[in-house]
Amino acid sequence: MQQHTTVIDKAAMALSGGLMLLGVVVLGLVEILAGKPYSAAPLTNDAGEIIATPMIDPTLRTGLVLAGILVLALYGLYKLVAPMKEGPATTQQDVTAD
Amino acid sequence: MSYQAANPLADEFEFELGGAWTAYWLAFLRVVTGWWFFHAGVTKLIEDGLAYTYGPAYLKQMTGTALGPIPVLMGEHLGWLIQAMVPLGETLIGLGLMVGALVRLASVFGVFFMALFWIGNASFGHGLVNSDFMGLLLFMTMIVLATGRYYGLDAVIEKTKLVKRHPKLRYLLG
Repeated sequence: MQQHTTVIDKAAMALSGGLMLLGVVVLGLVEILAGKPYSAAPLTNDAGEIIATPMIDPTLRTGLVLAGILVLALYGLYKLVAPMKEGPATTQQDVTAD
Repeated sequence: MSYQAANPLADEFEFELGGAWTAYWLAFLRVVTGWWFFHAGVTKLIEDGLAYTYGPAYLKQMTGTALGPIPVLMGEHLGWLIQAMVPLGETLIGLGLMVGALVRLASVFGVFFMALFWIGNASFGHGLVNSDFMGLLLFMTMIVLATGRYYGLDAVIEKTKLVKRHPKLRYLLG
């Protein structure tokens, strides 16, 4: 099966994937390198008091992921309104027997 | 070892994207994801009917999130709608996925629900990539792979004259 991607397809993939991976993986790595807490939640002691907060606000990280999802949603809307390409989705080829 | 750029799965242990196991697994995943939402919705309907008061209360506590004031405003001004739409929406999304009808459209709403659950739920005590986020990704997988076409009603609906006349409906089906 041969599928052709347009510039818009590639831009949607790159932008949405880039934003989501930036929020989850890249800033997640930064969070680990910055020391405790290694996650997006604050670190508390036994009494429940916050003893360390994340270096990167989880609002920023989740915002980046949501932005990536929004890009995909806009791409979906674009596909709904953009004219479809003519021609069948698959092509058949005649095969001759030996 | 051979490597095909067009199909990296093509190897001596090939797992065809159009193969029987793929169809089986995507259909299975779709039905289980559907049951997850159907169960969540139908039990709310049994308990509270269309007056699920926790819905707007949940949205109102979502201050300071990446969604800004949107969920709080929804909770404050659309409470009556949220009370009805949470149980009804979850039930319909679940039903759609289980029978494989309008799967992509249902999954868009599933992504919307899961985004609110992910952002507002548990302050990421289990990390940013938690079960809510994985659920969100499941719905996105349903959209990307059009899982309604595997043993689902969308496979039948897409063959109707209506869809053939309006092929763009396939973006909502499948």
